[in-house]
Amino acid sequence: MPEPVGSGILFGAPVLPLLDSGVTFEAILQQVANGIAKGSVYALIAVGYTMVYGVLQLINFAHGEVYMLGAYASYYPAKWLGYMPDAGEKPKVPLVLIAGLFVASMAFCATLGMLIERLAYRPLRNSSRLAALITAIGVSLLLQNGGQMLFGADPKGFPRFMDQESVSLGPVALANTKIVIIAVTAVMMTGLHLFVQKTKPGAAMRACSYDMRTARLMGINVDRTIALTFATGSIMASVGGVLVAMDQPRLTPLMGLLMGLKAFVAAVLGGIGSIPGAVLGGLTLGVAESVVGTWSTTYSEAVAFVILILVLLVKPSGLLGKSGREKV
Amino acid sequence: MRKALTLLIALGSVFAVVLAGCKSGDEVGPGFNDDKVFLGLFVSTSGDIASFGTDTKNGVELAVEEINASGGINGKKIELRVEDTASDPQQGGNAATKLATGDSVFVALGAVASGISLNAAPIFQEKGIPMISPSSTNPTVTQQGDKIFRICYLDDFQGGACAVFAHKDLKAKKAAILSNQDDAYSTGLAKFFKAKFTKLGGEIVAEESFKKGNSDFNTQISNIKGKGADIIFVPAYYNDVALIAKQFRAQDVKTPLLGGDGWESASLTKNAEGALEGCYFGNHYSQEDKSDTVQKFVAAYKKKYGETPSSLAALGYDVVYVTKAAIEKAGAFDRAKVLDALRGLTDFQGVTGKFSIDGDRNARKSISMLKIQGDRFLPVRQIAPEEVE
Repeated sequence: MPEPVGSGILFGAPVLPLLDSGVTFEAILQQVANGIAKGSVYALIAVGYTMVYGVLQLINFAHGEVYMLGAYASYYPAKWLGYMPDAGEKPKVPLVLIAGLFVASMAFCATLGMLIERLAYRPLRNSSRLAALITAIGVSLLLQNGGQMLFGADPKGFPRFMDQESVSLGPVALANTKIVIIAVTAVMMTGLHLFVQKTKPGAAMRACSYDMRTARLMGINVDRTIALTFATGSIMASVGGVLVAMDQPRLTPLMGLLMGLKAFVAAVLGGIGSIPGAVLGGLTLGVAESVVGTWSTTYSEAVAFVILILVLLVKPSGLLGKSGREKV
Repeated sequence: MRKALTLLIALGSVFAVVLAGCKSGDEVGPGFNDDKVFLGLFVSTSGDIASFGTDTKNGVELAVEEINASGGINGKKIELRVEDTASDPQQGGNAATKLATGDSVFVALGAVASGISLNAAPIFQEKGIPMISPSSTNPTVTQQGDKIFRICYLDDFQGGACAVFAHKDLKAKKAAILSNQDDAYSTGLAKFFKAKFTKLGGEIVAEESFKKGNSDFNTQISNIKGKGADIIFVPAYYNDVALIAKQFRAQDVKTPLLGGDGWESASLTKNAEGALEGCYFGNHYSQEDKSDTVQKFVAAYKKKYGETPSSLAALGYDVVYVTKAAIEKAGAFDRAKVLDALRGLTDFQGVTGKFSIDGDRNARKSISMLKIQGDRFLPVRQIAPEEVE
């Protein structure tokens, strides 16, 4: 039975009310594991917000919709190949095809991300930030409603990538799909880190985020770098979309709304503009939501957001954000 | 001068149109002519819950076709007027106004969603037109006035009946609840289930909730896991239920789930992919019921639409026959007499069971508890209102 959330949690003493309500240490550990799986997806999407913000100081509100379209972009090819039959049992998708579906979704979203940038944001690059922000909201609404028109509002299932079963890891148990989510996220994040830190295009991205005008003077093709930033962020979101669809097979044109919001919050919590910050923010938000849920699932999101507010009160630039000078 | 004249004429015509509009708005037509009686149907055939409205409309149209083929009601053929409420309460009010005014309908049938029925009811109440909802389960709907009826059971009965079933039939001593905190239907059922289950001596070991749009239920499931529940009550809609069931099984929780009429959908078992095998839910009727009434209806519906009728289709079918029974009992096309006949309707045998209309203008009827096996919903038993009270 959910207990009302005691004030003890907010003031950093979660152990005391815990003993009263019979919540065990194992239960908390289990929720931490659940939270890491949940937070991994937040992180995958949050990096897209943070990278675009780092370069353009633009909150790309359409990013949640890229995540949604990433899921649909792997759903339809699988359906056309007969992995979503109208009746009877769904055949298992072979591993090669799973990889193909991930690539299809990544390619689609990368193109989409660049297209959004080219058509909606580039023409406004020199106008006020507010205009770009409103355009971003417009693109988001366009994709949501366009999706409802194109795919229909009724939720869709997803092809069978693997059979869900519980895997015990010491004191906690996680579904195998959750473990895949965490593992794939770790691989993607490592890849992203190497890309940004060790490659030339990555260096160009970092240069643009420090100072776009100087970067241009140094011979960096700024337009191409910005397009690449959108493509990279969209690829991360598309992977998130396919992973979530595999784990929670319910595709709707509005599935990006809440997820986008949470990921945006994760990006702000971690320090918007910082890629490690987005990862930390995502995991923190996921774990906070789940652990608070041990006491009360009714208030778990509210309490998670209270934690966010408290963090931002103490450290307004986010966990790993730099409180640097305002860029001109 | 000419300009002024044009303006005057324009203003005058606007005024005339407005006047005419007001005038027709106050009239209530008799709702029939020499050879036809007009029945109105307002359901959502577009928007979020379009499938509910479409099923209802299919059931209604089948009944109208059958009645007209066998001579109509007291010699008058039924003319059906359908208005789309577009899954929106506001649109529901507009549809009701349209049906109630001008060349009004004799009786109005609708809506599915309680929120829409609540907006339409005051309009029909004011115009004195009987309104019969086939499937709005919220208790407040029929409290809108003495001309508002329904032919389905209510959420308090449904929640209580599930508790009785869990305790008596499944011998459950401990139950867990997982409900949608943003949905009045879900929280209502959870509340009534809890009240009845604890009254019967059972214990609620976990009470969890999720928010609309959530698709990761693992936090809630981890909280329920290990509490030793014999049954898990999940009063939610089918899309959520399929996901919830899968995630319970993925966490190795094998306890059966139990739910209400929100579970019913052909996509429920398809999306759950076996995770709901052996689970139970309460519904308005069972397609597998062997009785003649049900089998005749299922066959006719399949022949006309090529699919098995949902309970919304069955309720749509029944609501037309209830109207017919009331008019025949009244013996005249007189709304006051038909209202009296509806109030005193007893032992009506419909596809959704035998029922009477009680003093609060609600149907008093049984709930069918079904067990999921493959993609079939097999009837286990019916629970009568007396058992829950």
